Amino acid sequence: MNTSLNPSLRLYEPLWRIRLRNTWKSLQDNWVLFAENKIGLVGLAIILFYALLAALHPILIATVWDEKIYDPFIGNDPRIYNHPSPPSQDHLLGTDPMGRDILSQLMYSTRNEFVLGFLAAAITVTIATSIGAMAAYFGKWVDTIFMRIADLMNILPFIALLVVLSAFVRMNMWTLALVIGVLSGFGGATIIFKAQALTIMVKPYIEAARIAGGSHWHIIFYHIVPNLMPLAFLNMMFTVTGAIFTEAALSFFGLLNIRVSWGIMIYTTQAAGYMLRSIEYWYLIFPAGLSITLLCTAFYLIGRAMDSVVNPRLRRR
Amino acid sequence: MNNTLLALKDLTVEYKTRKGYVSAIDGVSFDLQYGESMGLVGESGCGKTSIAMSLLRLMPENAIVRRGEILLDGQNILQMDERQVREMRWARISMVFQAAMNALNPVYRVGDQITEAMHQHRGDLPPLQARARVEELFQLVGIDAKMIDRYPHEFSGGMRQRAVIAMALACSPSLIIADEPTTALDVIVQDQVLRELRRIQAQLNMSMIYISHDIAVIAEVAKKIGVMYAGRMVELAASGDIFHTPRHPYTAALMSAFPSIKGPKTRLVALPGEPPDLLYPPQGCRFHPRCSRASEICQKQTPPFETIQPNHWVACWNPLEARA
Amino acid sequence: MNTPDSPLIKVENLSLYFPVGSSFFQRSKSHIHAVDEISFSIPLGRSLALVGESGCGKTSTGKLLTRLVDPTGGHIYLRGKDGSLADLAALKGDELKRFRRRVQMIFQDPYESLNPRLTIFDTVAEPLLVQGLGSLGEREEMVARLLEQVGLTPASSFLFRFPHELSGGQRQRVAIARALVVRPDFVVADEPTSMLDVSIRTGVMNLMMELADQLGLSYLYITHDLAVARYTSHELAVMYMGKIVEHGETEEVLANPLHPYTQALISAVPAPDPAYQRPAPAIRGGISKPIDPAPRCRFYERCLRAAQTAGGDPVCRENDHPRLEDKGGGHFAACYKV
Repeated sequence: MNTSLNPSLRLYEPLWRIRLRNTWKSLQDNWVLFAENKIGLVGLAIILFYALLAALHPILIATVWDEKIYDPFIGNDPRIYNHPSPPSQDHLLGTDPMGRDILSQLMYSTRNEFVLGFLAAAITVTIATSIGAMAAYFGKWVDTIFMRIADLMNILPFIALLVVLSAFVRMNMWTLALVIGVLSGFGGATIIFKAQALTIMVKPYIEAARIAGGSHWHIIFYHIVPNLMPLAFLNMMFTVTGAIFTEAALSFFGLLNIRVSWGIMIYTTQAAGYMLRSIEYWYLIFPAGLSITLLCTAFYLIGRAMDSVVNPRLRRR
Repeated sequence: MNNTLLALKDLTVEYKTRKGYVSAIDGVSFDLQYGESMGLVGESGCGKTSIAMSLLRLMPENAIVRRGEILLDGQNILQMDERQVREMRWARISMVFQAAMNALNPVYRVGDQITEAMHQHRGDLPPLQARARVEELFQLVGIDAKMIDRYPHEFSGGMRQRAVIAMALACSPSLIIADEPTTALDVIVQDQVLRELRRIQAQLNMSMIYISHDIAVIAEVAKKIGVMYAGRMVELAASGDIFHTPRHPYTAALMSAFPSIKGPKTRLVALPGEPPDLLYPPQGCRFHPRCSRASEICQKQTPPFETIQPNHWVACWNPLEARA
Repeated sequence: MNTPDSPLIKVENLSLYFPVGSSFFQRSKSHIHAVDEISFSIPLGRSLALVGESGCGKTSTGKLLTRLVDPTGGHIYLRGKDGSLADLAALKGDELKRFRRRVQMIFQDPYESLNPRLTIFDTVAEPLLVQGLGSLGEREEMVARLLEQVGLTPASSFLFRFPHELSGGQRQRVAIARALVVRPDFVVADEPTSMLDVSIRTGVMNLMMELADQLGLSYLYITHDLAVARYTSHELAVMYMGKIVEHGETEEVLANPLHPYTQALISAVPAPDPAYQRPAPAIRGGISKPIDPAPRCRFYERCLRAAQTAGGDPVCRENDHPRLEDKGGGHFAACYKV
């Protein structure tokens, strides 16, 4: 055997930099596939628009918006006597029944919606991939227990469960994200990930890893879970949609301990009794309602576009 | 008398992909006589299956025929309309696929599937006559007639492949294309299926194109052999000539790459490199990067597919000498 | 010190039975005898080809030797560096993990045996990683050197590519490198070239043989192709329905097959010469699954020798499956009619 090291064998670059470059390249490749699907680009544009709104809010407060007037919680414009007031030059989307600027509330809430959506989705996906992989790998009683839990989660009405839960726990944005994440993590998503994990389980590279001496956990987290990741990202997008929608529904019922969100904005309108005159007071409901619809749609569209990246069979040749 | 059943003339097909055009078949020409059996041999991606698909007009949607024609009894298959194509398939050209299990629908009885295939081409064949025909076909391929009313899962691998052959023969086609029909089978079953195919082909005086990567299997069924490499036909001759005096370096390499169970045990010489990516086929002769006889002209100009001796065609600038 | 012909691996009465048709409420009474009390040994540095039709138990044997499945019964002895024999069939936990450095496997399908999400470096280095061998830098160097050894040069241009960027032949070379990275002395190769193209196959077979010579490896070469077996292996064992029916030096078995099944297999191999009219193999019927096989020769139903006597030869019909016996010069066969 030759023992002298060929100079080409030496790596002049540290490993992490090579890995980073590989990741970057694969992101680029996937972007090309993603960008082919126009609905994904539409979704992305909407999300970027709302991200911009969220980012602009603190800047506007710090520069052009007077905090006394435009604060999303306690702001009030003393120049206007009757609230709610329709859109005007100072208040592009009008003011709410308590005299607060609707645009400011909308922009301020956007950040929360993102945090809630992504946090819930991340928790869901982390739980669901781990459990799905474990159920598939160990089978037997591990599989039985987790699958029965998933069945239970699936047959319980989700919103109703949260309504009951909110009677016991005061829920804010963070706890809500946690609850949604855990509930959907143990629920339907597990079944999807387990099914996918079963198709990975039978690949020879799993046997190869066992022959190499890999432990159960090594095989689950080094081989099975990474191969679930494309599906996980896809699933994340749909979970974000679900979380934002759930928040709106719970807020509307007044069950959340949140000072302002899109759902709360509609709740406030309803509580102040303007709901039945919503044609006249369209600006109280329309901005928040449209935002919920648009952002949910956007994540759904991105999910659909990612589907064609994840499933090569859906790709055009 | 003109005895030519099938004539391919300069057939050139490309597949459009997101990365560009894949040159799947490039200028392939050959004739097939009535009752003649021909083998197409080559590695995966050499274009042999693409040719079969072109003959049946079953090319994928992204296929583009650049040039050439496929004449079946003088009629160009590539210019047939939908109705003519339907009439041509199965009745005049039929095919035996590699994966017999996939060619049979698991929820229907095998006999019914063959009857169904006949109905589509023979219109209203009376049920009794159809059944008699299926029995006849089963007898022909060597399956017990009582298996007619059984389901595919009750057949063994070899029997399924025979049933698929019976189905291909149902409408008495003048040409049968067999695409690696024995590749998934064990040697003893493969031997049986090959013997049946050979016997049936002679008995019905049917033309056959047998596609395989295994030159020894081809040698057992085909009278003449076309060797394909990277979308082109590089050599075409009678089986004996291909074996005893291969003229193209690739043919010679292909044959010496197979170990044998007979004769002296010799170390096999591996061909260097890999078959080319047909998105970017090499200039000139497509085999030149792997060829030990390559010269300057091979890199620049495509060698013409020419007669080197009677009934022996080769596309090579520096062909091997004919051994005495 | 081991003498050259002392067995590296010695298999005794190894069996693998699968229950069939069992359900939650009822334990199955029927079993498929996938591997049925087989015994053989492989000397250090020599290779044994295991040949048979699909379903004969050759792949199951490979999985038993690599401990991917647990045997129903029997022993697998591996000779240690000090000459002692350890029974792999009884190993568990850490001992089993350490044993895995010595016995590795190469799989049939190079498209499925490499994790598509791992780079070539990660795949080849995985056995080192899980075994805790070497620092990151040392692993890089070992992997790079091995890649060059299996003909993937320069290694630096392959290390951080992904399997889908490689051809089938290159992937199988990666799989070989991965199997050899922990310096095993025994490798189970399950049809390692059957999915490769003809012009690529020879290169991979030659490489495996060169590596065996350089590193002193023994292979169990599982294949359905007698010609491949002849080319790659010193010894040949033929399996039929879970039993080894013939075993000996490859050249000897192919030149003078004793068992009627081996004879049928050999005569069924297509001849690459159109002028040669190959006689039909002497065999009848088709292969069936060994579910609770009757206590007689497994080959009885298909054997023309047993059928020569009207009503079937009573010796073959009434006795249990014949033992694998030395019929002279280390050529073993399991048949009453040799």
